[in-house]
Amino acid sequence: MTDVLPIDGIDGDSVVVASIESKSPKRLSWDRFKRDRFAIAGLGVVAFFLIIAIFAPLITKILGISPNALDRNSLNDYGLPNGRFGGISGKHWLGVEPGTGRDILARLIYGARLSLFVGLVATLITTSVGMMLGLVAGYLRGRVDTFLSRLSDLVMTFPSLILTIALVRPGTQRLEAMGVPEGNPARLTYLMLVTLFFGWVGFFRIVRGQTLALREREFVEAARSSGAGPGHIIFRQIAPNLWGPIIALASMSLPGYVAYEAALSFLGVGIISPTASWGIMLQDSVHYYRADPTYFFIPGATLFVLVMAFYLLSEGLRDALDPKNDRQQVA
Amino acid sequence: MKRRSYKFLGVAIAASLVIAACGSDGGSGSINKPSKGTSGGTVYILTQGEGITHLDPQRNYTGSDLAFAASTMHRTLTSYKYADGGEGSEITADLATDVGTASADAKTWSFTLRSNITFQDGTAITCADVAYGVSRTFAQDVITDGPTYAISYLDIPDGGYSGPVELNTATTPEEQALFDSAVSCDASNTITFRLKVPVADFNYAVTLLSFSPVPKASDTGEGYDSAPVSSGPYKIESYVPGDSLVLVRNENWNQASDPIRKAYPDSIVYQFALESAVIDERMIADAGNDQTAVSADGLLPENLGTIFDNPKFENRRQDGYDPYVSYTAFNVKQVSCLEVRQAVWLALDREALRTAAGGPYTGDFADGFIKPALALDYAPGKVVEGLNVDGTPNTEAAIAKMEEAKTACPAIYELATGDGLKFDHGDTPTWAKLVSIWIESLKAAGIVLKSNPIEPSAYYPTIMNPETQGSMSRSGWGPDWANASTVIPELFCDCGGFNLSQNSEDPAYAAFAEKVQMARAETDRKAQGKMWQELNQYVLDQVWAIPGSFTKAQDIWGSKLGNTYRWGPYGSFNFGDLYVNS
Amino acid sequence: MIAYLTRRILFAGVLLLAVSLFTFLIFTVLPTDPAALTCGKACTPDRIEANRTRLGYDQPVTTQYVRFLKGIVGGRTYGEGQGEFTCGAPSLGYSFSQKDCVTSLIARTLPVTASIAFGGFALWIIFGIGLGMVSALKRGRWPDRLISVVSVVGLSFPTFFLALLLLFIFVIWTQILPFPSYVSPTEDFFGWCQALILPWLTITIISAPYYIRLTRFGMLETMNEDYVRLGIAKGLKRWTVLRKYVLRSALIPIVTVAGLDFGVTLGGAVFTESVFSLPGMGRLSIKAVSDSDLPVLVGTTLVAGTFIVVFNLLTDIFYGFVDPRVRIHK
Repeated sequence: MTDVLPIDGIDGDSVVVASIESKSPKRLSWDRFKRDRFAIAGLGVVAFFLIIAIFAPLITKILGISPNALDRNSLNDYGLPNGRFGGISGKHWLGVEPGTGRDILARLIYGARLSLFVGLVATLITTSVGMMLGLVAGYLRGRVDTFLSRLSDLVMTFPSLILTIALVRPGTQRLEAMGVPEGNPARLTYLMLVTLFFGWVGFFRIVRGQTLALREREFVEAARSSGAGPGHIIFRQIAPNLWGPIIALASMSLPGYVAYEAALSFLGVGIISPTASWGIMLQDSVHYYRADPTYFFIPGATLFVLVMAFYLLSEGLRDALDPKNDRQQVA
Repeated sequence: MKRRSYKFLGVAIAASLVIAACGSDGGSGSINKPSKGTSGGTVYILTQGEGITHLDPQRNYTGSDLAFAASTMHRTLTSYKYADGGEGSEITADLATDVGTASADAKTWSFTLRSNITFQDGTAITCADVAYGVSRTFAQDVITDGPTYAISYLDIPDGGYSGPVELNTATTPEEQALFDSAVSCDASNTITFRLKVPVADFNYAVTLLSFSPVPKASDTGEGYDSAPVSSGPYKIESYVPGDSLVLVRNENWNQASDPIRKAYPDSIVYQFALESAVIDERMIADAGNDQTAVSADGLLPENLGTIFDNPKFENRRQDGYDPYVSYTAFNVKQVSCLEVRQAVWLALDREALRTAAGGPYTGDFADGFIKPALALDYAPGKVVEGLNVDGTPNTEAAIAKMEEAKTACPAIYELATGDGLKFDHGDTPTWAKLVSIWIESLKAAGIVLKSNPIEPSAYYPTIMNPETQGSMSRSGWGPDWANASTVIPELFCDCGGFNLSQNSEDPAYAAFAEKVQMARAETDRKAQGKMWQELNQYVLDQVWAIPGSFTKAQDIWGSKLGNTYRWGPYGSFNFGDLYVNS
Repeated sequence: MIAYLTRRILFAGVLLLAVSLFTFLIFTVLPTDPAALTCGKACTPDRIEANRTRLGYDQPVTTQYVRFLKGIVGGRTYGEGQGEFTCGAPSLGYSFSQKDCVTSLIARTLPVTASIAFGGFALWIIFGIGLGMVSALKRGRWPDRLISVVSVVGLSFPTFFLALLLLFIFVIWTQILPFPSYVSPTEDFFGWCQALILPWLTITIISAPYYIRLTRFGMLETMNEDYVRLGIAKGLKRWTVLRKYVLRSALIPIVTVAGLDFGVTLGGAVFTESVFSLPGMGRLSIKAVSDSDLPVLVGTTLVAGTFIVVFNLLTDIFYGFVDPRVRIHK
């Protein structure tokens, strides 16, 4: 699904004009953000997951659980959790995995680590590359711009999901042959590369459009006539004006990448077990729909909550950073 | 013959035959004893597979596919009886008038064909058609994946013949002459096989479809795999891999010429590419056409409780041993240290593995590679000292073994505790879980295991290639007929076809290989059985592989089907003998 | 207009060619040994070499590509002698593991994917635009709030999780619906609907929120425009203004997005198809991955890419018609 954002950054002008004219846009934005209860709630949830992810080893240690330790005693003879609701107990707060008795809470915590890592790295690389190329294309125009724009047309033409899935094995094998450590490091490297290949286009288009508009503006002209080089103009004059839409767009794509990791792992082309991943848990849980539905709901609901929190946060950010709202307030 | 197992892809490739005589197998009792059925109706077979692995009779080597094709489309010289239990493992005449005549030295076998047998186009099946069918196995470039007993038994020098000229244009008349002298026909429509070694039970080998007739004129090589010519009561109406295979009555099949097939249903529809969970759901629901359906894949472990704890399913389920033994082969070239191999065995939590795969329904802990059903060849195996009978790990004993290894073979000790041993398994959700049990239980003894998931289609090519095989590989096997000559040599000798142990450089190998040759040549079946028992023990002592389970399988069928017994030799339904209760 | 059309069509053609070249290249260059992947269980080095020659993997990449293109135009015969297979034009390759021409595999799976895509598309457009309009007209009031909450929830569902959830609720738990099992609509229309209702629902819940937002945003924008205010001030009926001006200009950007989305969905609704185990193109691809069936993967990627290009072209053409500026601009 292409996510075309209903922010009016596409044609650029109004955003830029507004944010340049407003006096302290940061302050205004923050005030607006604070008033958005949903966004604050989203921020809280995201922060909670971030803390859990960062301190995963510590938290599991304190709770006395481990994502890999087997617990045969929590299972019956057929490998299903003892007790109701997937074996929820004082020892295993969210129950155990059928078949192995591994603690679900511990696996969720380590899974959060993976999901957030993938989401953040993917967002970071796609944003920075997209922004860089967009600035270059928009500023230099001419052949560079034509080339990059045509390239982005071409990339948009590929069925990204199908291609990502199709190339998982040959791509990973090629990386392993090139010396990337076997297993998950190679898989993750592959996924990041493919994400970058498909993901830069959205940022590129927006940044390019805005750069094209900005480079004609008086303050850029002024800088240029006072002898500033292209590097100075791009990074000092133009780039700072792009943060608003970039942050909004990045925060919008982040939850997508978080879900993306889970989705690919669900299809069996993402993370390799025994590393804990929400997608793998869901893939496995489908087999126990009937016998142990709790096992399906817990990772599913967790993923849903995190993705929703990110969306709420990004909506809040977008509204707060949208200079149109400045205008309305100023007026 | 291989096992088709989608649940555990990568667990079990396997030959099979035999069995069914096990005591606990009879649980199904009277409900599904072969009986006189009624004609008519349609039988549905549901599977997760995209198609039949091979419909080409010479390439078919999967247990349930053999049962399916043999009972519906491809007649052979002899066939297993259509019966439950031990009787199903006995052979009876099919295309031949009797079960064959052997010379005194068991090196020459002859079978006389019936007179009124025909292919689906009405032409008579002659001795030449059988000979041609047998010759196809030699064209290994086209006829892949099939059993190769014709090549190893027939009296043709190694590499002396490379298949009929129809399949391999490079074959010379001299080569063809070699084959024609090993397989000959006479005026009375009698086919004679000359063998290079005595094979006292060659008439069991010819039940394999690789010994079935093929009309030369219809042989399209690779194309024959999707459109074989039928000699049985059904023929292909349509075959669309990924969708369905529809069999309808073959009007040119003559009931009078066929003493075993009853051909009850009017048509048989094989439905492919269904999700395993969907198949189970449909079978549980038992609605509409599914009332005359069987699942070819068995039941998923997670549904076993639903089915076996509920008396509602009493008449629609069975649980029993199949022909297979699961095992994990060591790559002995890499893990060339007996102590480390023993330590792995001791440390392994076999009980947890069994639980994860469905508990008691998985089967019994194996004490060797020969199943008890092979009564002549089975003897309880002596496992490594200290191994817990209940399958739980003996970590202390494993640590002690590792201590021994430290001095006995420091390099391998370093590998096992440092970089780790690479464990090959299928890249499937089930294995993703099982491998974590392997890793965790070995970790307790200080042994590092690295998971190496391999995509199912590449699994066997990868592990059968010495260059790409890891330190240990999961697999499974069952006998091709009631003789461990189809097990021990196949699995552990370079003279067999499926040796994953890379053990030929092991100091203990030479003595083993010599004894295998002696056992193969032994014509006294009892004495031979004794030798297989000893060889089985030899492998256990060397820990070239760790035996897993003597596996069981569970079936479910629709409420309106009869003759749903498990056909012992193939460990599956006798698909052609099913009938619809009106 | 004709010049504009020609330009767009030519560009689409170039794009298609580029996609085919790139797809072909990446699948030829990336695997460490494509021939080794064509081999079954009893794989010997001899067989790998034989397959290499048979499939032309021993030829230079350019030769392979030219052969591939020729195959698309005029059909192609794979291998020779007994192992020979001919696939009629347009031949996208031959699948060793499925023993069938890639084109016929795709032709078999496409109706399923198309059924999912068409039904889902219709629903998400109806709901997306409809609710978007309601939202815009009732701006700030409870219907608007409710719709925006619902759309955030919809947006937050990863497709596969939503599909699993629906499957659990309707099939396993309440058993209102049977397990989806695809039948052709010409054979059994009701059965077809029954099998596809959950996939359609999934796609609608996931996609409609974007359209709700686009519609709402577009309408609010236009309603603020002077000419609309003027229209209303002049006493034109509100509904007439809405239909003639507001909706019209709000819909134009939606068409672009919708065209592209539809093209993408038509290339394979991967998650929906896998969860509901519907034998469509997405599932064909997944299956091909586990079989390492490269020819099928090249085929599905190319067909999916073609859909995207074609629907892009169609939206461009549509644009050219409704918005004359575009013709000069682009």
